[in-house]
Amino acid sequence: MQRILKITTILGVAAFSASMLNAQEVDWSKELGDHAGVTLNVPMITDPFIEPLTEISGRFEQVAGAKVNVDPFGYGALHDTELLKCSQKSSDMDVMGIDAIWIGEFIEAGCLDNLEDRIAADDDVVKWDDFTPGFSAQAIWEGSRYCVPIGAYYQLLFYRNDLFEAAGKKPPTTFDELKELAAFFTDNPDFPGVKGFVTNNARGVAAGQEFYQWLPSAGGKAWASNEFGVTPSETYSDLTPTFDAAAVDLIKYLKSMMAYGPTGVEAFDWDQRGAAFASGNIAMTNMWSVRANLSNIPETSNVVGKFSTTQFPHAEGAQSRPPAGGWILCVNKHSKNKDAAWDYIKWITSQEIHAEYAIAGGPPSRISTFSNPEVRENWPWTDDLFKSSQAAFAEVRPRHAATSQMIDVVGIEVNKALIGEQSAEEAVEAINSKHTKLLRRSGLLK
Amino acid sequence: MAKNSGISPVAQMRVTKRHLWSSDRFQRIAFILPTSIFLLCLTLFPFIYSVYLSLHFVKMTNLSKKIYAGLENYIDLFNDSLFTTGIKNTASLAVTTLTVEVLLGFLIARILFELSSKRGINFLRSAYLVPIMITPIVVGVAANYIFTPQLGIANYLLGSVGIEPIGFLGIAIPARLTVLAINVWQWTPFMALLILAGLTSIRQDIVEAAKVDGAKWYHIMFWIEIPSILPIILLGMTLRLIEILRFFDIIYITTRGGPGDNTMVMTLYTYQQGFRYFHVGLSSASAVVILFVSITVTTVAVNLLRRAENNA
Repeated sequence: MQRILKITTILGVAAFSASMLNAQEVDWSKELGDHAGVTLNVPMITDPFIEPLTEISGRFEQVAGAKVNVDPFGYGALHDTELLKCSQKSSDMDVMGIDAIWIGEFIEAGCLDNLEDRIAADDDVVKWDDFTPGFSAQAIWEGSRYCVPIGAYYQLLFYRNDLFEAAGKKPPTTFDELKELAAFFTDNPDFPGVKGFVTNNARGVAAGQEFYQWLPSAGGKAWASNEFGVTPSETYSDLTPTFDAAAVDLIKYLKSMMAYGPTGVEAFDWDQRGAAFASGNIAMTNMWSVRANLSNIPETSNVVGKFSTTQFPHAEGAQSRPPAGGWILCVNKHSKNKDAAWDYIKWITSQEIHAEYAIAGGPPSRISTFSNPEVRENWPWTDDLFKSSQAAFAEVRPRHAATSQMIDVVGIEVNKALIGEQSAEEAVEAINSKHTKLLRRSGLLK
Repeated sequence: MAKNSGISPVAQMRVTKRHLWSSDRFQRIAFILPTSIFLLCLTLFPFIYSVYLSLHFVKMTNLSKKIYAGLENYIDLFNDSLFTTGIKNTASLAVTTLTVEVLLGFLIARILFELSSKRGINFLRSAYLVPIMITPIVVGVAANYIFTPQLGIANYLLGSVGIEPIGFLGIAIPARLTVLAINVWQWTPFMALLILAGLTSIRQDIVEAAKVDGAKWYHIMFWIEIPSILPIILLGMTLRLIEILRFFDIIYITTRGGPGDNTMVMTLYTYQQGFRYFHVGLSSASAVVILFVSITVTTVAVNLLRRAENNA
């Protein structure tokens, strides 16, 4: 009850602040330039927010004259295409939608325009402080704002409230409780066909990102200065890999949890676990908040109205550190339409347009959006999302130039341990050794 | 000389020029030149540049910054268990795929040959070639749907005969077998087609004579058919071997080298180093190694082919 009161109070204050901030509507005719005849190319991930983003982007032509061509890509293809093109100084792209953890790599490749001056000059429209701090921190690199948040995700634990009610169970808060409940629901004759839990185990980036996301809540840390609550510059002051006993225990834990998953769980990634949960055969899964929308579409989901969300669990003695992640919009350094690109970013991420986007299914990335009555009505998990955004850990995964390869290394070694090809200890030793070599070669570690 | 022949120097120059233009040598050069330029620009230069890059530490995101590395990329390559596993897996895939394809291809070709006088056989032959015509990426995507544990038709069919579902792409041996099965499904028709052509070319009077002499079907197969079509089988194996050495698409779509490193192949490693991590130096070293492996293997195969042709 106290928690509910606390959230209501916070949201009330946020709503009040938002209403004050919204007191003056933006006059776009004064804020935006005339970009008639310009076409802005925006490569973007094909995540569930692509439709509202594309639809709303179409309206930019009415307010600023420029056409916006949102070009959807899969995760790996987006990274490779964007990085390859911009490092070859291509002006094919104007605005780049990038995963926030790629920021260091893209800056090193000379891809991103520093937006610090533009944001500072237009802060009355941008209202940077209204972005959820747990995520907006990921749009900053070495003290400068290079990008603007468009899709903030937080990891939540999704559970079938109908099954939990029928069984008289409460959602888990710790790893042990999660395991007990997963065991309870798996192959339980009262819940035929249901398995207890599923998460990402597939080799490479899927298992790699998953492991990074669980590690802080397991009481571990990936590198020496990877502490919660420190400044970004302190976070990257000592990158010595520190996968230790907590990492070993976490691998063992994740391996034991595979017993409560469906067939083929060894190769599950984001799409497969989302599809499995939506099929109605899984009692619990952890997913990025953006996936909640997909589970709530009657045409593709058997669990509409039958699931709730709760905070990311944690190990005994550790604290829940909900991973923050998601997408940011940046200006291609080699674009020939930089002013139009910045105007588009300013417009699409503004409070007014962002609220429309969140109502249509876009991930709420502004504090003011959480108190929007229509958002709250459309998306019942908004309170949990807000709570996660408050406790979120922005630096749960590294964001420097070697990030992609380091995540893959973790994903390969952890997957080998999960399928029994090596022990958890061997996996952790291999990760530490390979990360050290990679960081040294990249000049990030002496 | 001009004095002796009574031709003026200008006229002699004209004759020499005409001689040059019409000479065999010049014609040869003229014919070879376009191909040589093509090869030089699109094959030799990229190869030399790859070798050059393989001797440097360089990232594709910053090509202007190259640090000379000597043979360090090659040393790193062979110290990387992922690459050596890739070599082993490629070799194992080549041996198993070729064995299954030749055996299955021979069986299918034999059946098609026996049915050659039947009605509708031409349609059956053409239909059988469809898998070769499908883009490997499409095959990979379709295979992903078929073998998805929860919603795939493979587990549905197994379930209908009472077999428990299998995690085809998540467990080591099923994943290897699935990749093998996809490859065999797509390319066995090619092998069958070649063998069928070979069987058709065997003189039937020899076969009839053997039958008159009391030869059984297996005598005919081992003593007449197989020796006669051996050069064709070797040709098919050589072509397939080259194809398998650059096998990439299906693994990229279905398993991405997993589970663990069980389906990691050399080409996937090269791709990942070059186009995912942008380590152009290491990726080029890997490409150069693949090229030399391919040349060595192909040379051996071609020599075997020549020997078989001479014996046939």
